Amino acid sequence: MPPKGTVRCRIGGSELEEHVTRLYGAEVVRAIAGYVPMYCWSSFTEVYLLREELLEAVERILSSGRVPYSAGLYAGRLRRSRPKFIPSHILVERVYEVLGRYVRALEAAEQGVRVVLYGRDLLKGSTLRCFEPVERGEVVSVVGTDGRVYAIGLSEVGSCSELGRLRAEDAVARVIFDLGWYLRGGTVARERKYKV
Amino acid sequence: MASYTEALSAVWSRIRSSTNSKVEEVASSYGYLSYMVARYLEMLGSWEEVVEMLNAFERELVRSVRVNTLRFKDPREVVERLEALGYSLTPVPWERYSYTVAKVGRVPLGATHEFLLGGYYLYRGLASLLPPVALNPSGRDRVLDAAAAPGGKTTHMAQLMGGRGMIVAVDVDRERFRALRSNLERMGVENVVTLRMDGRLVPKVFGRFFTKALLDAPCTGEGLIQIDKSRKVKTSFEDLVRAHRLQVELLRATVEAVVPGGLVLYSTCSIAPEEDEFTVTEVLESSGRVEVVDLPIELNLLPGLSEYFGVRFPDGVRRCRRVYPHKHGMEGFFLCLLRVL
Repeated sequence: MPPKGTVRCRIGGSELEEHVTRLYGAEVVRAIAGYVPMYCWSSFTEVYLLREELLEAVERILSSGRVPYSAGLYAGRLRRSRPKFIPSHILVERVYEVLGRYVRALEAAEQGVRVVLYGRDLLKGSTLRCFEPVERGEVVSVVGTDGRVYAIGLSEVGSCSELGRLRAEDAVARVIFDLGWYLRGGTVARERKYKV
Repeated sequence: MASYTEALSAVWSRIRSSTNSKVEEVASSYGYLSYMVARYLEMLGSWEEVVEMLNAFERELVRSVRVNTLRFKDPREVVERLEALGYSLTPVPWERYSYTVAKVGRVPLGATHEFLLGGYYLYRGLASLLPPVALNPSGRDRVLDAAAAPGGKTTHMAQLMGGRGMIVAVDVDRERFRALRSNLERMGVENVVTLRMDGRLVPKVFGRFFTKALLDAPCTGEGLIQIDKSRKVKTSFEDLVRAHRLQVELLRATVEAVVPGGLVLYSTCSIAPEEDEFTVTEVLESSGRVEVVDLPIELNLLPGLSEYFGVRFPDGVRRCRRVYPHKHGMEGFFLCLLRVL
């Protein structure tokens, strides 16, 4: 949902590209090429990626003194504190398509995915593989064995090698967003989208 | 006649005067308000057909699954996953991404891993697939979805457009709007701009901007009795008139936002003529800017009513289409395609 309070939006800007480059490398900027970013902010900032076909409609809305509730592809949220950028699951899937491999990711077993989809943390015992780089407190994707991104979490480890020292019941990623949100609190209760 | 909206009060008098003991008896045995059954007799013309329809409303709704090809290019991938769960699916001949659920699997459609995991499919009644198919938007269109939430038809149109072109999805209801946004994100739709606003204000924001528009109007849901039996008793005639007035205002605004030559698809999940033929006729007569055209799909749907309790509708209204559960095996629905002049 849009930030609370008076929302303002602007079309264009380089912040998203900077964060994507910082997290995933310069080569994945291709994942957002062909789109124009739109930033809508109040207490936090939501980022959307617009195809050219959407620009005229968005400009008409903005010039009428209103703001869109959402537009185009939801790219994620910019924050003042760490993590400075929480990418959307769709953006991360595109990044992996461009890269042809996972980075900043944890592959979860089927039962781990099920648990994560209820907003619970990913445990070592359900983690099949780890893909560097991972940084403690920075975003990490939870991917299924089918290659889909099911959650975004904050890494509890500073590198994949640390997993070997964890017990099966230790958290590897603190989940801050999972796809179950859309069918759970996202539409009924006032559960926050990102638990951070 | 001053207007078709004003004629509704005369219709109500005629409904009441046509309510006899047979109407009361049938209404009581099926658990309906009497006035509804009196209307069904007027609409369908025979008791035999009224009873057929009432019996059809008692049967379980045939569900359909629409595979989200925006995220899964090959529908077979999703079909095979559902078949592995015990489902039996039959392709819908007139909608290339959709399947009729011939046999329900071990897990309900809303609880499968594939649904919960995000974006594999949406499930709904078959008739809900009709409005986007009838409007048939392409990647070159600028589309208005004037009452969009929770977004089943918005995502369907985005799919038909191959994720190209542009849809502006408008709705006013806050909670339903969250569901709209959720569906769009979950299903990976990227050619939609959402705007939480009263749909009647659309022309003020956009002017004449859109090449196609869908108004799947808020309605009493008198076609959805298979899903919600409370609809047998919860709608008064005053509720119908209130819904009609809002529908007329929304349809006028939708027409105003479409360029000359553009198309507007008006639909409701209601078989109530008060919300269907009366609404379309009121806008036809008062705007002078639209005409009814044939739907690009046939499917043996029934024509719009030409007369109802002594009120005659213009000839063009017969080009609208009615969907009945006992005739078409779907929920009750109404569709009307209008061309803006």
